[in-house]
Amino acid sequence: MIPRLFTARRYVLSILAWVGVWVGVATVSVVVGGKLWTWDSPAQLRNVLALRLEWVATAGVVGAALALAGLAFQALLRNPLADPYVLGVSGGAGLGFILASLFLSSLLAPAFGFLGALVTVGLVYAIAQRRGRLEPYTLLLTGVVANVFYGAAIMLVTALARPAERGDIALWMMGNIGAFGPQWVLIGVMAALVAAVGVLYAFLAKGFNLVAAGEETAGSLGVRVGRLRMTTFVSASLLTGAAVALAGPIGFVGLIVPHGLRIVLGPDHRRLVPASVFLGATFLVLADLAACLWEGASDRSLPVGVLTAMCGGPFFVYLLRTRWRRAAEVQ
Amino acid sequence: MMRPWRRAAVVAAGLAFLGAGLACSESPPAGPSAPGGERPLRILSLTPNITEILFAMGLGDRVVGRSTYCTYPPEALAVPAVGDTIHLSLEKIIRLEPTLAFLVARPEAVRHDATLARLESLGIRVVPLQADRMDEMLNAIRTLGRETREEEAAQALLDRIQGDLDRVRKQVAGLSRPRVLFVCPMSVGSSRVLVAGRGTFVDGLLDVAGAENVYPDEANWPTLSPQQVIALAPDVVIINAVGSNAPPDRVETIRQSWASLTGVPAVANGRVHILTEPYLTIPGPRVGQAAERLAEAIHPQRKEAPSP
Amino acid sequence: MAQSSRSPMTETLHRADGPYLDVRDLTFAYAGGPPVLRGLSVGVGRGRFVALLGPNGSGKTTLLRIVLRLLAPSAGEVRLAGVPLQRYPAGALARRLAYVPQGTTSVLAFTVLETVLMGRSPHTGALGFESAADWHAAREALRLTDTERFAERNLEDLSGGERQRVLIARALAQEPELVLLDEPTSFLDIKHQHAIHRLLRRLVGERGLTVLCVSHDLNLAGAYADDVVLISEGRVAAAGSPVQVLSADRLEAVYETPVRVRLDEATGRPYVLPMPEE
Repeated sequence: MIPRLFTARRYVLSILAWVGVWVGVATVSVVVGGKLWTWDSPAQLRNVLALRLEWVATAGVVGAALALAGLAFQALLRNPLADPYVLGVSGGAGLGFILASLFLSSLLAPAFGFLGALVTVGLVYAIAQRRGRLEPYTLLLTGVVANVFYGAAIMLVTALARPAERGDIALWMMGNIGAFGPQWVLIGVMAALVAAVGVLYAFLAKGFNLVAAGEETAGSLGVRVGRLRMTTFVSASLLTGAAVALAGPIGFVGLIVPHGLRIVLGPDHRRLVPASVFLGATFLVLADLAACLWEGASDRSLPVGVLTAMCGGPFFVYLLRTRWRRAAEVQ
Repeated sequence: MMRPWRRAAVVAAGLAFLGAGLACSESPPAGPSAPGGERPLRILSLTPNITEILFAMGLGDRVVGRSTYCTYPPEALAVPAVGDTIHLSLEKIIRLEPTLAFLVARPEAVRHDATLARLESLGIRVVPLQADRMDEMLNAIRTLGRETREEEAAQALLDRIQGDLDRVRKQVAGLSRPRVLFVCPMSVGSSRVLVAGRGTFVDGLLDVAGAENVYPDEANWPTLSPQQVIALAPDVVIINAVGSNAPPDRVETIRQSWASLTGVPAVANGRVHILTEPYLTIPGPRVGQAAERLAEAIHPQRKEAPSP
Repeated sequence: MAQSSRSPMTETLHRADGPYLDVRDLTFAYAGGPPVLRGLSVGVGRGRFVALLGPNGSGKTTLLRIVLRLLAPSAGEVRLAGVPLQRYPAGALARRLAYVPQGTTSVLAFTVLETVLMGRSPHTGALGFESAADWHAAREALRLTDTERFAERNLEDLSGGERQRVLIARALAQEPELVLLDEPTSFLDIKHQHAIHRLLRRLVGERGLTVLCVSHDLNLAGAYADDVVLISEGRVAAAGSPVQVLSADRLEAVYETPVRVRLDEATGRPYVLPMPEE
């Protein structure tokens, strides 16, 4: 019996393969989405290329961030159905973003969205911690409370806003790529964040596996469970907050990508971490391409969050009819 | 709570995001941005009244793009539409290669700055204008003339508008000024109404048409309940039913709902007029027509002066 | 072989080089509750199979958790191979000490092989890359526990006994010096109970493993353990060979129930029977 060991060679090869996939998909998206062959003048072509590159880059980093954060939250909360928004960070980011674009400037809004996320991290920690430690169950409950609160706050702001603003807010809440001013600097910061956290999780992946097998077991195998939980909580929340500040609360990427990968690749987080980063990026780039093509064909705009949400339903139906039913039959 | 280095990392990430946001707000335009120069004039007009003004100035053939809501004059419909304030189709805008963009500045609208920055990054010079009040509109015409180097056309338009307004003023000179409330109904199912406060464009029109705005305060477009309308006790009520309120059955519904407000002097005296002209609230070249229409409704007995 | 030192109530069981696991005067109470451990001291010699017995609530599991560093004692200390426990970095401790819990609480579907390979994580470095050495250790652990044929199956699909053997294999894959087991055979049938105890005995004898096994089963302890430590109310009530510790009056005092103790003629080991109804 030759086992499928987790070796360095396989790891590097798989990462290279993923990079290749992403570059291929991104290139297709830039070329096809921008219909690069249809432009007359070089000035136009340059503008379109810059625009497409910017949006594909945004979709890539946001998709990667959401998928990675989703994976981390699923590990942290010991719940394979957790998504990055379950702890209320997206609500905080959303409120910060909306308030800033209403009362300050829409160009500062992403920064304030991130600030809102930071504040939420602090609040959730303060409420959920017991003697400095985080337990999955109390975290989850605190997140529910946070989401309820932020949902109410955002509803209040929307109700009090002028009718023209309401449309803007509603559209932002669906999740959009490329709805804002030029943002290469933001994309760069986001990419650095994704890279840093991705590398961090590559080192924490072993710990994720062991904690899934049991907290005491993990402790006996050398994992500092409390520290792991804290680090995961903070880093995943930062990723989520940044993603929401940049593109709004795009749904389902953070849930579908890690969950789907777990079905295909198994529960080993050492494989799931790099796969989530790249599949998340690829998934959102493809969704953005689909939205772009739809907009070109139908002359109406389609927020990318709508597409990802529409993928969620069929995905769960598929899960229900295959894996879950099998699990229920076994019992 | 967190170890010092972790806290520092979080603060660093936050500062990086904040700095990035600020940096993006100062991104320089990609293309040449000097006004005029050797570049041809290709105008993107993103607000309906600006489109009207440009066409009235004779610049209609220079307008290469408009917003979806710019539907007057009819020649404007031939110009490609690029979306509205909520969503602009950047792809279409790029294809049109405009050099100059005009829009009415609404700083309170979400994403205003971002939209400006985005257009500028495409090499378009963006000129935000204030054009919601009468005096602002007149200034806007002058600015448009300056930016497009068509000061003469702008002055001609200003003169014409001034002439129209003066003519209406003459018609109603000496007549007593009734207390008028100008109302826009809200959507179906709401009994509240939007009214023109002091200082708005419509307020200016009322003044020209020989009326006094019964709403006493400086306000943009406040919302009133029926009780508040009764409390104001206007002598004349002008209701502007446009858009979704324009169909005859809807007009009839509005008429009947107002007929029940017998506490209002205007209702009691049968001085509630429902006007369906859409240009009454658009600060643009048709302001003369608007003033004339209002004068017609408010002072049916005025003497008609022949138009020049 | 038992020797008294310090006080009549604490006895150390060790060879000449000092106890491998040295617990001294441990005191511990859960937050806001009464003390669970009251100055407990015990020594476990290297290469011994030690059974930890005692009534419910006597502190056996708490002691295990303190040794695993899942809890911190309010007083006293624990030394492993002469070094205080706090001084061990997490990975170093995991290379010496392995833990077999009572059943699994996994929410994810790992295979048997993946589970056993998890035991290699103290040896696999930061990113968790597995080498041929890891594979051999895992394979050996599977062979010893007779679970090789389950390697590719999901852990959840196995029976309780098979699963417990896999958990022991995981602990063995760690290549530890000391294995802590928390009631490893509570839910198993008699065949598997004895198979696992025989395995532990063999590992102690053939490889010099040290085993500390918390148990409720007095007879299994009596039959297989080298040394028995009887804990009552947070202190050591008795420590020594099974024959010495498992006496009727001592058991009655600790468990508060009448029992009879007989000796097996063939092995010379004690077995405990409840007193028949009068």
